[in-house]
Amino acid sequence: MKVEELEKAINEGTDNLSIEERRKFLQMGLAVTGIFLGGTVLSLTSMAQANQNSPDSNIPIEGQYPYTKHYSMVMRQNRCVDCEQCVAACKQTNHIPNAHDAYRTAIQERLTTENGSEKREFRPVLCNHCNRPPCVRVCPTKATYKDPETGIVVMDYAKCIGCKTCMAACPYNARYFNEEKYAIDKCNFCLDTRLAEGKTETACAAACPARVRIFGDLNDKSTEIYRLLHMPDTKIWVLRPDTGALPNVFYMNA
Amino acid sequence: MKQHRMNTVGTILLAGSFFLVANAIAAETFDEDTYGPEAPIIWEQPTKVSFSHKTHTMEASLSCDSCHDELFTMESGAALATGTMTMASMLEGQYCGSCHDGNTAFATNTQCASCHLDMTELIPTDLIVWTKPVKAVIFDHKTHIEDSGLECEACHDSLFTMETGAAEKTSDFTMQALYEGKYCGHCHDDSTAFAANTRCNNCHIGVKGYNRLMGNDGQHGKSNKAGH
Repeated sequence: MKVEELEKAINEGTDNLSIEERRKFLQMGLAVTGIFLGGTVLSLTSMAQANQNSPDSNIPIEGQYPYTKHYSMVMRQNRCVDCEQCVAACKQTNHIPNAHDAYRTAIQERLTTENGSEKREFRPVLCNHCNRPPCVRVCPTKATYKDPETGIVVMDYAKCIGCKTCMAACPYNARYFNEEKYAIDKCNFCLDTRLAEGKTETACAAACPARVRIFGDLNDKSTEIYRLLHMPDTKIWVLRPDTGALPNVFYMNA
Repeated sequence: MKQHRMNTVGTILLAGSFFLVANAIAAETFDEDTYGPEAPIIWEQPTKVSFSHKTHTMEASLSCDSCHDELFTMESGAALATGTMTMASMLEGQYCGSCHDGNTAFATNTQCASCHLDMTELIPTDLIVWTKPVKAVIFDHKTHIEDSGLECEACHDSLFTMETGAAEKTSDFTMQALYEGKYCGHCHDDSTAFAANTRCNNCHIGVKGYNRLMGNDGQHGKSNKAGH
């Protein structure tokens, strides 16, 4: 079959492509954009290209921030030294109970061995305040929802029945059951404890001595987060992009 | 002429009397009844340490009962045999630490080489761990001495005093100071050794690394294992 003919063929869509097949190409840095002739021909594009063009791009696209104040956070991951001053500041500011599973933000650690010496990598994590939050979709009482102005995923503790479905749905393990409130609790970018008081940063971002966490409004072009996320040639990534949740916490080494 | 001779005799007599006086002082220096044993006391174990009675009695004017027998019995090796004469106990005011407290005399955690004869015995084998201003930063003497071939004087005492926690007590033990060439930044400047603003986690082990190092890794919280 000639290329001209192939161009006229109908794209059968990628919905029926097996995950294994898709993964094989992802490992090569390629995304499958179409299937033709019953799967005998695939059209491929580079991941970077795919992310730029797709409306499902995990990386923010200029002018596509749905909220008036589109609060996001950038983690400059290579700067993190796991001093956990962010964790302590969050605990104090947001009155996190002293239970072993109660946390709004944490630092993950990965230990590897390189040339015989131990190598450490630290990654701060918190609620990703997704544009398509799976937790919100599954909540039976609408106790958790996207704040219409800021896009922050918030909790209405009075409505929460503690069914923990949202905990199971969250791809980021960012929710815990608060015994004191008898409701699910989670990070809310310090909406009630700091932003409501006019502060411009979350407690964790303000406490970070290495300025790993940069918090701000993506719709304000004067913010540092806007500048960081729109630097050409800077690799930006999100956690678990495969879930399609469109997280608002971005990672980079800068 | 006669007067001149008399002057000469007088000069000789005068010089002679000075000589006698000087002799008398020199003789007193070695009076072991007043000042204790002349030869320094040398401990070989656990590290080589020297103590000079002369420095303490003749020069610092201490009497025998300043130390004997309350702090030290007058018996060779007796103090060491108790097993309690350690740097830790001295820091708490026992033995030498009774006076060497940083007030009456220099503290026992400073001026190591004043008593320790072989400083290579004192190179810490354990990691140095700082917890301030951030938790936690490690330093390994071994890699700097054996692998990089540095001498003690490369850092001590110009960059770091030989005292546990001394750097932490200063307000400028910060990354900014390192970038300005202080502390580790003296060498970690991108020319002698890797720059201080690179490879953060070579030295920063974090709270989790610190807990592991201290054998306190029993936290089963989600915060440690929030990965997927």
